Amino acid sequence: MSAAVAPTIDVVQARREARAAWRARIPVGRLLTIAYFVAVFTILLAPLVVVIGGSFSAPPNDTVVMSYVQFPPKRLTLQWYERIPATELRALGVSFALALAVATAAAVLGVPAAFGLVRGRFPGKAAVGILMRAPLQVPHVVTGMAFLQLYYAAGDLWGGYLQGTPAGLFLAHLFMATPFVVGSVGAVLYGFNPRLEEAACILGASRWRTFWRVTLPVIMPGVFTGLLYAFIVSFVDVPVAIFLASPQAMTFPVELFHAMEQDFTPSSLASASLAAAFAIMLVYAAQRFLGLDALLRSRTK
Amino acid sequence: MLRARWETLLVGPFLISAGLLFGSQFIFLRQSLHRDLRFGQQDPAWSIANFVQILSDPYYLHALWLTTYISLSVALICVVVGFPIAKVLARQRSRWTSFLLSTIVLTSFITTVIQIFGLIIIFRADGPVNELLRAAGITRQPLEVIGTPLGVVLGLVYASFGFAVMLMYGVVLTIPRSLDEAAAVHGASRARVLLRVVLPLCAPGLIVAFLTIFNSCMGSFTSAALLGGGRVLTLPVLIQRTMLLDVKYGVAGALAGLLLLFVVLLNVASVIVLRRFRATRGVAL
Repeated sequence: MSAAVAPTIDVVQARREARAAWRARIPVGRLLTIAYFVAVFTILLAPLVVVIGGSFSAPPNDTVVMSYVQFPPKRLTLQWYERIPATELRALGVSFALALAVATAAAVLGVPAAFGLVRGRFPGKAAVGILMRAPLQVPHVVTGMAFLQLYYAAGDLWGGYLQGTPAGLFLAHLFMATPFVVGSVGAVLYGFNPRLEEAACILGASRWRTFWRVTLPVIMPGVFTGLLYAFIVSFVDVPVAIFLASPQAMTFPVELFHAMEQDFTPSSLASASLAAAFAIMLVYAAQRFLGLDALLRSRTK
Repeated sequence: MLRARWETLLVGPFLISAGLLFGSQFIFLRQSLHRDLRFGQQDPAWSIANFVQILSDPYYLHALWLTTYISLSVALICVVVGFPIAKVLARQRSRWTSFLLSTIVLTSFITTVIQIFGLIIIFRADGPVNELLRAAGITRQPLEVIGTPLGVVLGLVYASFGFAVMLMYGVVLTIPRSLDEAAAVHGASRARVLLRVVLPLCAPGLIVAFLTIFNSCMGSFTSAALLGGGRVLTLPVLIQRTMLLDVKYGVAGALAGLLLLFVVLLNVASVIVLRRFRATRGVAL
């Protein structure tokens, strides 16, 4: 249509196009989304930034030993890093080893359990499923207290006390973490297409080969998700470990908790920053080698 | 499906899980039925005195109410603030997506004690927030967050937010994108797609996320102990003090038993409501 024939329509059209172009140039919805993300992530990361910044902040003058943190730091120092108590570093090691052991054991228990729950046929399956998920409902502080009383009672009976030992912490954390693996592996198994296994069998693969080469690779994201959640549950736990830890078996969060309640010094900020750096490396490794989007895709129920 | 006796795989894990569950829950519930004597000793006679004492004491009932109130607020804040984040991350892929997801996961890798360090520095009387408020002339008195329920809620939100977003991200991913597109093709605006398609389909998953956060808040005491300044006494704080400081196993056991019962009842009730909701809406999940 030419402008000479129908000028009015063309003007309307041009105006509409101009408006659309303007709207496209200033995408209001997108700007709002970006603003929302910036606001939420800034607020979310603020405490961490303050802790890391504060760990480098020098006290206002040298004569006063201040357990006082300046943020933003006026002068930078590494002195708090030099004064990190050895107990805190050891606790960080204990926490990492514990979380690793708990995640591994939770997978060893949880993966077969998920297969049994999804594929098994037996009476009372629903009840068994509820029981395997029950620890998710138990408030953490109740778990901590319950295990402490269990260890007291068991110790009175058999003479071996588990409270304050790594084994005691391990059992209680395993109790909390296993349902996460059962849930995430179970969720993947429910969505598993059995034709994949049938195809492998028809093509002549043995049952073991089918399991190792077909079934396991498909459910692997679920296993890693479960491992991730199990690791986190153990690694950041305070309410259970506060009951079960002792100077001989001290986890990092509880060590920091006591440091905060009793004698707070900026060196606690320094070791907290180290832990944060450690967490950043772990998440980076998980992202790099496993892909977090794939991990979070299979959700726990 | 491979033919095998899959249920045999369940025997070992089931025995261990059941042993841990019943062993731990049985002992403290049994202890709660004995009266406390001094120094951690207990009266061998059975009695429900501990439960009577707790249920007739407004101090404990207030603690239960406060814990519930705080946990509900935290779960609500996490779901409402976190859902847009989860939805955008799950639906609009960009080069920032994996970075932002890693950041979310990172915050749940960092123990809440570290976050609380930061919050105390930020919100103390001469911290950055109060300096800012004073400079802007909004407040004359410093805003008090530490030592108030607000501070405890804040600490718990920081502790739960990452996990909430991770859960809801998984929920949004289960809704096929083709449904949005179908609605859009038929002329629904973006807001309408969100309100009439995405949200209703996500609702059951959001309720699950809400409950998960609520449960974990009902049992966590780090935030109340460190940010409450001894003034915000939630049930978990009372349980920890009764057990470790007062060495009263019976009362601590009874408190824990009531907390457990309360949480389990709330969860069962919400599962029933959720079932009905799914049945009436016909939402397939």
